[in-house]
Amino acid sequence: MSTTEPDNVALNGPVVGRYRVIPLIEKGATAGMRPAVASKDVQEALALPGTLVADWQDKAIKRLGQLVKQRRGLRVFLDNCTKCGACTDKCHYFLGTRDPKNMPVARQDLIRSVYRRYFTLAGRLFPWLVGARTLNKALLQDWYTYFHQCSQCRRCTVFCPKGIDTSEVTMAGREILASIGLGQQYSQEIITKVKSIGNNLGMKPRALADVLENLEEDILDDTGVPVRLPLDDSRADVLLVTPSADFFAEPHVDGLIGYAKVLHQAGVRWTFSSQASEAANFALFTGQHDHMRDIALRIRNAAVDLAVSRIVIGECGHAWRVAYSYLDALVGPLDFLDPAHSRVEHICEVTHQLLTQGRITLDPQRNAGKVITYHDSCNVARGASMGQRAGGQFRIPRELLAASVPRVVEMSADTTKQKTFCCGGGGGLLTDDMMAVRIKGALPRAQALQSVVDSDEVTHLVAICAICKTQLSSVLPHYGLQHVQVTSLHHLVGDALVL
Amino acid sequence: MLGYLLTAAFVWAVAGSAYRLIVWARTPSTLPMPLTPAPTSRVGVVGRLLLELLTFRALARADRTTWLASLAFHYGLLLILIMHLRFVWSQLPPSLVPFIGLSGWATLMLIIGLSVLLIRRIVIDRLRYISSPSDYLHIILLLTLAASGTAMKRLWPVDLYGVSQFLQGALRFSWQPLPESLVLVVHLSLVLLLLFVFPISKLLHGIGIVFSPTLNQRDAVSAQTRVLSGSSHSKTRE
Ligand code: SF4
Ligand code: SF4
Repeated sequence: MSTTEPDNVALNGPVVGRYRVIPLIEKGATAGMRPAVASKDVQEALALPGTLVADWQDKAIKRLGQLVKQRRGLRVFLDNCTKCGACTDKCHYFLGTRDPKNMPVARQDLIRSVYRRYFTLAGRLFPWLVGARTLNKALLQDWYTYFHQCSQCRRCTVFCPKGIDTSEVTMAGREILASIGLGQQYSQEIITKVKSIGNNLGMKPRALADVLENLEEDILDDTGVPVRLPLDDSRADVLLVTPSADFFAEPHVDGLIGYAKVLHQAGVRWTFSSQASEAANFALFTGQHDHMRDIALRIRNAAVDLAVSRIVIGECGHAWRVAYSYLDALVGPLDFLDPAHSRVEHICEVTHQLLTQGRITLDPQRNAGKVITYHDSCNVARGASMGQRAGGQFRIPRELLAASVPRVVEMSADTTKQKTFCCGGGGGLLTDDMMAVRIKGALPRAQALQSVVDSDEVTHLVAICAICKTQLSSVLPHYGLQHVQVTSLHHLVGDALVL
Repeated sequence: MLGYLLTAAFVWAVAGSAYRLIVWARTPSTLPMPLTPAPTSRVGVVGRLLLELLTFRALARADRTTWLASLAFHYGLLLILIMHLRFVWSQLPPSLVPFIGLSGWATLMLIIGLSVLLIRRIVIDRLRYISSPSDYLHIILLLTLAASGTAMKRLWPVDLYGVSQFLQGALRFSWQPLPESLVLVVHLSLVLLLLFVFPISKLLHGIGIVFSPTLNQRDAVSAQTRVLSGSSHSKTRE
């Protein structure tokens, strides 16, 4: 196969699930790969110092001290690791880069060593014995680098006998970094945009309305059916909040068309909101709980302003985690919603319900010829559930696919459901300056996919996350998998829908 | 002398552990972060924690060798600790008596388990990378404890009654003389060291698991089903 091979990536190498090879470590392999630091403007717009503060060492330690007092998870996770090593070969970034600092425990240790040095008796008395370290420039550099080579996917947690969640550590780490002037440009800029304009792209309401209008025309041309994509429609019962990538990016937009077709067909009165034209909440990635609340609040406010009785979230992994797990804690209670739908719902469970109620009909033959496999998104799989059923986050999307496509195959069980591998672009890493790390991080997913392409001639890889879709479509070609089409689940549903 | 130290070390270990637990318990747990799929009921959460605590389920998922070695080590240790109760309780509860016969097996399990854990920490490059001196020393400490204990049993027997008088004294603040034995002094000194490091090290991880929000929180959102489908306790929201 003649493809552009990124170094370290063995394309014809072992396939995850058939037999797995754990690489030998290669110190410093990705030490130079880090995203751009936030500009002065962006930092200051978020009331953070514009550049690295002079007394950064004291400030960082002080902030760490505050966070371990405020976040039990963080404190317990820092205290409780036995260095058992169970997580060391579970992170896609380690498997893809071989850099030992990408082993989850080693990533945590970047902070744990400092925590031990300044906040534990053993670390104060015998630093050399327990791996406690002074926070110096080199370590700070490692913080910035390796906290941004973690997609906060929590795969490591599944295998940790203490339930240690590395993402809590890197979220806290990024929070501290931003507080001393080292925010990450990509995530922090997005946070400023969503807070000032309403979506990550900075798309103004007028532009959004135009986009939706054009899409309505496209659907009419394609199907002959006048499917509407309403914006700020006060007659709506349902507010649909979706990642803004759905409005224009490929292959996301076909998913958006799918939502609209389903809701149209079922006769649901729904709307988008220009105020909350974004489901994503990047403050989850940066660990900034105050911003996370502000961003979540837009959704609540939009729902109140439009007087809707239901809130539905589109295909977005971390947005679903925030909506599912945090919304109540951040901006709840959402007591104005219809008591029968008193929690935020996922578009997949809504579609699934309409299907079971017989309000829509799906004909899988309309997707004849397609062989699809499903990529579980990490935040949906390990950070949320769906449909108030045990394992609903795994079953509902699969049941929808089974009803929409004639042939669905599963990738290796080591790489799906709770054990799913991140696409390699989550957690605020979906930026061009992280491309090298993103490609390497996609290795396990690419291997698992290659395996089903070989065995079952899979043609489509389906995801329900905007980040997964963008990431996978841009990195899979590097693995010679450009012929596998990355697809929105609701694209297939929309195509199978009998209008 | 050893008697006073032992008393002090015991008090230190209990108080220190209690302090750590209090700190954990008092740190607020702000945003929910259960690792899903998670149980929806509190009973389910207890079940999940017991499963993790008793079977090391996540470790079984991760790595079979480490899992088996850890099981052997921890259960060996548990049996040995139970057997040691006869030194501090004058009357061992009858239910525990059968365990005494297992002492040889328990020690073997402990030693094999610990050795495997030590060897892999030395041999596997990933493990070497993440290990600090204390990580090796913890294992070596337990191994030497086991070795000195076995030596007392097989090579240089000591006056067990005297030992139990001594230990009971140390725990009740009425110190008794220690039977003459070098191995015993070594063994007890290692116990002292263990008691000293226990509350300030990773050795408290067993209880730490119970405080882990990823494992001890339930999937409360899914649990709302029950509330919604009209059970007696309706939502208390104003
Ligand atoms: S959360 Fe995911 S990306 Fe981060 S260390 Fe764990 S496995 Fe790796
Ligand atoms: S699996 Fe958990 S306890 Fe073991 S080394 Fe990794 S983080 Fe530490």
